[in-house]
Amino acid sequence: MKTITLTLKKKSQIALEFDELIPDEVFTWEKADFENYQVPVGNRRFPLTDYFDIEVEGTAESPEEVKMVLDGDCGRVKYIGCKMGAGEIIVNGDADLHCGAEMKGGKITVNGDAESYAGREMEGGELEIMGNTREFCGCSYIGDWRGMSGGKIILHGNAGKQLGECLSGGEIYVKGDCDILAGIHMNKGFIQIDGDVTRWPGGQMKNGNILIKGKLGILLEGFVYDSVVVDPEIDGKTFSGKYIKYIGDIAVNGKGGLYLNAEKNREFL
Amino acid sequence: MEYILKNGIVYDPANEIAGEKMDVMFKDGKIVSSVSSDAKVLDVTDKIVMPAGVDPHAHVAGPKLVVGRLYRPEDSRKGVTPKTDVCRSESGFSIPSCPATGYRYSRMGYGTVTEAAMPPLEAKHTHEEITAIPNIDVTPLPLFGNNWFVLQWAKEGKVEEIAAFVSSWLKIVKGYGIKIVNPCGTEAWGWGGNVHGIDDPVPYFDVTAREVIRALAQANEMLGLPHSIHVHPNDLGHPGNYPTTVNTLDCIKDIEKSSGLRDQTIHLTHAQFHSYAGTSWRDVESGAKEVADYINNNKHVTCDIGQVTLDETTTMTADGPMEFDLHSLNGLKWANKDIELETGSGIVPFIYSGKAPVPSFQWGVGLELFMRIKDPWQVCLTTDHPNAGPFIRYPRIISWLMSAERRQEMMDNGEVRVWSYKRTGLGSFDREYDFNEIATITRAAPAKIYGYQDRGELTPGYNADIAVYDLNPNDIDPSKQPATIEHAFGNAMYTIKDGQILVKDGEIVKVVPSHTLWTNVKGFEEQEKAVMKEVMPAFTRFYTVKFENYKVHDHFTPYPTVTEVQAGK
Repeated sequence: MKTITLTLKKKSQIALEFDELIPDEVFTWEKADFENYQVPVGNRRFPLTDYFDIEVEGTAESPEEVKMVLDGDCGRVKYIGCKMGAGEIIVNGDADLHCGAEMKGGKITVNGDAESYAGREMEGGELEIMGNTREFCGCSYIGDWRGMSGGKIILHGNAGKQLGECLSGGEIYVKGDCDILAGIHMNKGFIQIDGDVTRWPGGQMKNGNILIKGKLGILLEGFVYDSVVVDPEIDGKTFSGKYIKYIGDIAVNGKGGLYLNAEKNREFL
Repeated sequence: MEYILKNGIVYDPANEIAGEKMDVMFKDGKIVSSVSSDAKVLDVTDKIVMPAGVDPHAHVAGPKLVVGRLYRPEDSRKGVTPKTDVCRSESGFSIPSCPATGYRYSRMGYGTVTEAAMPPLEAKHTHEEITAIPNIDVTPLPLFGNNWFVLQWAKEGKVEEIAAFVSSWLKIVKGYGIKIVNPCGTEAWGWGGNVHGIDDPVPYFDVTAREVIRALAQANEMLGLPHSIHVHPNDLGHPGNYPTTVNTLDCIKDIEKSSGLRDQTIHLTHAQFHSYAGTSWRDVESGAKEVADYINNNKHVTCDIGQVTLDETTTMTADGPMEFDLHSLNGLKWANKDIELETGSGIVPFIYSGKAPVPSFQWGVGLELFMRIKDPWQVCLTTDHPNAGPFIRYPRIISWLMSAERRQEMMDNGEVRVWSYKRTGLGSFDREYDFNEIATITRAAPAKIYGYQDRGELTPGYNADIAVYDLNPNDIDPSKQPATIEHAFGNAMYTIKDGQILVKDGEIVKVVPSHTLWTNVKGFEEQEKAVMKEVMPAFTRFYTVKFENYKVHDHFTPYPTVTEVQAGK
């Protein structure tokens, strides 16, 4: 087991890019390798040691045996764990854009907030964010119609707009509230939101399921009332409680399921 | 500066040199027959030397490309490279950035490419974009097949007016020749429809594709343009479209050729998309035999293929209704544009997957055409970039053409589905192109088809546009080594343009501005004046731009290469 601890000593105004510092790449690196490494900052590179104190303990035969700990406010560190396939990254602070984007395996924990695009195009692994995140969590690349396809995102705080946009697999759990258009264009997968939702979940969804335990502001017209279900089973999992089930979005001939907590959304009945 | 390329094995089909060991010399940007003893020697012993490549049909500059890049950022992120001391950074796969377009052509040993669809109204933009593409000369073809003036005159049978219109419009927009895309069909799209076959009249103008194609072909020969009409026929990509294609080619058979620079009076572009039999995508069959038979029996026709490369790409064409059909088929995002009075266009991303039956079938049809067309001077290698695949796949297509074994392997191991041979005649061919035929379909034939008098051959006096590939033809068996062939043709040992070494060992070493090729017709001034008088009232009434702002002024073509043509000669 190898533990790599990077402690922030100077916060850059221009974001650092960390997509090369993933367990898959650094499992063989010694302390000296990190000290020689130049990290991309804007359109240039600077020594990693300008920004972080580095400690490396133990050895690793494979990326699975790597644990990277980023201590400090990494609110200006982009692409943390981007494209990682194995191992673990713990961020003791905030994370900037694209945290866990395109990750294929392993685990990332952010003990703070994550900026937009967290878990973009995830294919596998687990991304847990203890704070809030902003727009496009678990979404596709801009312009693309193929979004997150696997893995799991657990968000303890609130989510921004267009959560799980173009979702085509995997699961997203939001413990807090969620802004507009969760699951827009989704065609597979599952989104659970425990808090309140402002409006329009599932816009143009083709398939997959969204379950909302809190209160919904405005429902889209493309969702057709199906039934009130008790303890619904979705993808083999049972959810206790009484839910109003809608099918949609019929604007795109969608067959997706939208479940609203019946107690908190009485006015929809 | 004098150079001598020593001991290369030269393939120069125009001069009937097929694999002779000889020296190629050039001085001050031109090929010469002798040089002084001061000449710098480039040792290319036993390497293949060819004229630089000429691409007869691609979409590399213009508003379609920009819309494509804007609405497909997911394509732009592929192929990103950092800048080097010589090159700017590159981006894009199917729709590369302008500099990347130039660099990538250059690396393949190409020197000239045709931008095959320039809407006259957007000509300024197209030329601006050409100035941003380095290292490769660009020949823009303006679109005339759905132009309101042309439709009206075609209906009235006024060929001389059309000729005068074309002649003056080539000057106004700085274009090289006549491009026709889905004649009448794109105009019908303005009415929400399309035309089917060449005898289906367009709404309002009530004129058929047959009349338009004939009128433009007559006008083309009246002017004696260096290139023939360049036709994308009706019904692109529709099962059962091959009769339309054959009828299109046949309908101008009687029109006499006036230019001695070329052999054809019609160039059929992306023939692969126009060679389908059957009635629907369920029972589709290849119509390559019928199209190829017609081409084999008729010397007034040349074609390029538009070979499917099995990639994720971006389709973009002035054939607006076809793009809507495609969008309905694959459900992916669609861009559509009307170019007032002139044409339209559409863009849809497309995934040609070898795991799907239809792309496999299209792959088979393209290669079947290559196999069936006997005379390599009548066929050119294209992918209709980016429609059937990006141009960077030309080396791969060359490797397929040179290896029956590789094609069989792809069909056997499931890289393409069974439709590739069950629905086409590809399985019955073991023809393999040799290096001389490859040199013909990638440089000599396109240069001849375009009537170029300065490129496409290694004749003294011609531009020193030369490609050297790191292959010894006496050593290699292309049939057994397709990967080596692909790599060599994709990474030229030398690409020389106007006597300057731009690529060495697959790397760009120099960046030069590209030239714009356009045709200046002389001897038609009186007719042009008369026709402008006739055009101007309608122009002022219908166009949203003023004529003064429509013309492409000289500063849009800082490096022009003008072909002067005496009308009718």
